[in-house]
Formats: sequence, C-alpha cells, structure tokens
Amino acid sequence: MGLAVDVVKRSGRRKTEMFDTDKLSRSIHSACLSVRTPEGQAESAASHVTGLVTLWITQKPAVTSNDLRRQVAYHLHRYHPDAAYYYLHQRSIL
Amino acid sequence: MKKTKFDFDLIVIGSGAGGSAAATIAAREGKRVAIVESDTFGGNSPNWGDVPIKALLHAAHLYNQARSGSRFGLRSSAISFNYPSLLDWKDLAVKRTGAGGNRGYYDEQGITTLHGLAHFLSPHEINVNRKHYSAGSFIIATGAEWKMPEIQGSDTVPLITPRELLDSKRLPKSLYIVGGGTTGVEIAQLMSTFGVKVVIADIASRLLPDYETEAGELLENLLTKNKNIHVLTQTRTVAIEKENIARRVTYSRGGHEHSLRVDQVLVCAGRRPNVDLGLENAGVKYSDKGIVVNSNLQTNVKHIYAAGDVLGEISGHTHTALMQSRIAAHNILSKKKIVPDYTATPHVIFTYPSIASVGLTEDDCLRRDLRIKKSFVPLSVTARSNVSDFHDGFVKLIADKNGVLIGATIMAPEAGESIQELALAVKSGLTTADIANTPHAFLTWSEAVRIAASKIS
Repeated sequence: MGLAVDVVKRSGRRKTEMFDTDKLSRSIHSACLSVRTPEGQAESAASHVTGLVTLWITQKPAVTSNDLRRQVAYHLHRYHPDAAYYYLHQRSIL
Repeated sequence: MKKTKFDFDLIVIGSGAGGSAAATIAAREGKRVAIVESDTFGGNSPNWGDVPIKALLHAAHLYNQARSGSRFGLRSSAISFNYPSLLDWKDLAVKRTGAGGNRGYYDEQGITTLHGLAHFLSPHEINVNRKHYSAGSFIIATGAEWKMPEIQGSDTVPLITPRELLDSKRLPKSLYIVGGGTTGVEIAQLMSTFGVKVVIADIASRLLPDYETEAGELLENLLTKNKNIHVLTQTRTVAIEKENIARRVTYSRGGHEHSLRVDQVLVCAGRRPNVDLGLENAGVKYSDKGIVVNSNLQTNVKHIYAAGDVLGEISGHTHTALMQSRIAAHNILSKKKIVPDYTATPHVIFTYPSIASVGLTEDDCLRRDLRIKKSFVPLSVTARSNVSDFHDGFVKLIADKNGVLIGATIMAPEAGESIQELALAVKSGLTTADIANTPHAFLTWSEAVRIAASKIS
C-alpha cells in the first residue's frame, strides 16, 4: 500500500519513489530473519514497527531512505536490538 | 569557479519570534528569502501562548478587581462574565497582533512564504509539500511543543495542553494542572478566577522553582488563600484513567498515593524542541534538549543557524527568541559575528501580583559560591501599597561585594514594567547606590526598588 509520501533514495542516483508500507514491512521482516529471529517474532516486530513508522511518516511530505532506516532502527531496538543494528548498518555489513 | 546557485539565499524554517525577524532583516538586505511555516503564521506566542493567555488574564484581573471593589465603596455585586464573550475578546487580541494572517506582510517584504512541514533532504535542500527548495543558508526556528509526561494511562486518556484549553468553548468544572512553572501558575490563577476548581501539582518542593524562593512561596500562599487552589508540591502524578466523562488522577505525595476526580488534566510541565525535521540528513547535531549551537548561534554545519525555543533551555521567552533571530540574521549576513547577551534578560509571570526577575537569583549565587549583599523589602513599606490597599509582594535585590547589581526579583502589580530599570542596571553594571540615588516617583510601586537599593548601599 502506498502513502502519498516521497522517499528520496539514499544515493540520489535512483528515482524518488512513493512510500510503500508493504516494502517497509518486508525489509524489517528480512532483517529480523537475517539475525536468526523466529518467524513469528519477525512478523510481530515487522507489524509493530511498520505501524509506528507509518504513523511518523504520515505527517511528512517527503523523507529520505536514510530517515526511514533511522526510524526503523529506533523503533526496532525495543523489539530486537540485534535486528535494529543490522537494519541500520546493513549496507556496510554486506 | 562558477558560483553554486540556490533557489534562495536564506530559508527560515518557522515563522515565530525566532524566525520572522531574521527573514525580514535578510529580505531588507536584498537577499532572496523564503519562510516556511507548518501551522499558523506567527508561531506559538501570538497565537496560542503569551498573547491569548495575557488577554484572558487581563480580563480576569478586571473581573477580580471589580468583585473586590466594595472595600473602596464601589458597588459591584451584579458583575458576572460570559465565557464565550471572553473567548471573543481573546480572539480579537490575537487577531490584532496581525501574526496569524501575516503572509501578506511577508509578500510585501519580498519574502516567499511556504506553508507545510519542512524536512531536510541534504545540507542545502529541504522538502516542503513534496517540492524541493535549496538555499545557501538556513535558520531553524521551529520552536517547541508541550512535552507529554510519562504518566500511566496518558496514552489512552487525552491530556490537554494550554492551546487546547484556550480553544475550548466551555470552562471545565475542575482542572488538574501538571507543572507549577510559569504557564501552570498563570492558567491556575486564570481558571480559578472564572470559578474552575484547580489543583496544581509539581514534583519540585515549591511553585516556580526557577525563581526566588520567596516568590514561589508567596504565590503559593496567595493561590491557596485567595483562589482556593489546591497546590500539591513534591507530588508525582502517577496515573490517569477515564471515569465516565471525567478523569481520575492518581498522584503520589509524601510516600502515599491519593486520587481525585477532575474534568480535565492540563499538561504544562516543560517543552520539547521540535527537532524532527530530518536534521540527520543535513548533519546537524542535536539532542532531546534542542539543537546544539555555538555562541554565534551557528550549528556544527556552518551555513545552518538556529534561534528560539528549538535551542532548548537557552531560550524560552519571545523577547529572547527575537534577539536570537536578529543575531542569527546578522551573523549570516556579516563576516563580523556577534553573540547574544543573556545577562539582563527579564523574565515575567503575568499573575496578580505579577513576578519579574532579571539576572541571578540567590540560589544561582550560592551555586556559584559568590559573595553577595542582598536586600528584601515588602511592598507594604511603600505609600502606593497604602493607597491601593495591596500588600502582597516584595522587591529583592542582589549585589556583588562591590555593590554592583547582579540580580533582582519584583513581585508586585505591574512588576514587568518596574523590572526594566533593574534590567538596565544589570546590563550597565550600575551599583545599588546609583539606583538609590535616582529619584523614584512618589506613589509608584518602584519606590520599593529605591528602598531596597538604599538598604544595600
């Protein structure tokens, strides 16, 4: 599902896209699974964090992908600190 | 080398006291300026803060004076009030500031107005309403909002802020105020004058903990004695729950928990700077306490400045934000940087009697281990006190060992007017002898200032 919020991509090379809650949820889910989180916990964390980030983003006209990364890591830290760290530093880790 | 081109020379984010002056100054210097506002133009002070509260306090004071006029031989038994009409008066006062609809003013100055939330995308670029704008310099003046305290149940039971209280068309029957600072005591006195049963709670040991002890204690006595306000100091509000259309508040005091039922719970316990504008994308350092700036009001990113309440504890007053705004604009436009001087910034609380202070308090001096001389004079020593039949107040002066005035507090009617001479004295390094040797008009409250000064000199 897309919200009328632009996501300005990190490097500026790729085009700005609409905010997509499903895409966000999938990325959080994947980050959780990557640090060996049980499937149920990953789904629960993804659902909660997506809700919180969506609430934050609805007030914004546009955000950068770095903003999203920081917001997700901030909220995910409560549910799964390792996954939050992985989410924030994914690019430098891989 | 080709000069980088931006959409604007300066973008000011926030149109309150911290932003508007800077935008005007830069535009008058011929710069291409834009100002961004996400809410009503003019910001907090003229729309929901100082101006509406003071307009209502003025009406409340008149009502109170009229009711108590019988001791002067005035018949005032028929006086009453109509709250919707009072709100109309408040709205008129707000409207007359011209701040709310002043987009036209900015247009006349050649300033581009943008209405929407600003969000940094990079150090030189922001997004407003999904459009990108770049600028050579920025001033962040996004202000602050009331901080919601961590009280159990506050996520399900709505707490109100002063803005919501003043926008409400009806007075609550009873009100529990969390926070005994400046706004808390002003609203407590205002609401109680119009018949609202008020409870005011603060975790500190007295009201107005940032002011002189005598001011907090005397105000607490007056609010309790004259207004039947229940003052709960050293009290932590623990929980809030809904009870039909009312709220049940549980608080902890002296190791015991108590609860009471009120119509509304008002939050006035500190303000939180508005820093959620993508500052990370610009690389600007900030914390929960506000944006970090140097003495020139410049952030760690050299083309971005900040002014006003977004700086946290440095600011807090409209006049301080205005001064910072002017200085930020000057420092952007000029190579010779200047720094704000906060030593003689007056603080005023518009209760009755009002409280005004400047410079250091006695507690500040104790913390700094300063050797001081002090004097305390009750208002009752003045002739004005006699003719006005008003005795609750004082003047307290603090001087260094050489007699130079370094701090003053006045609690008196119109104390905000009387403090100005002492602000000038603090700023100019005058001694208490200088003040005592200056004639003060007979039958004015400022005679107490002269008497207090002569006690030290």
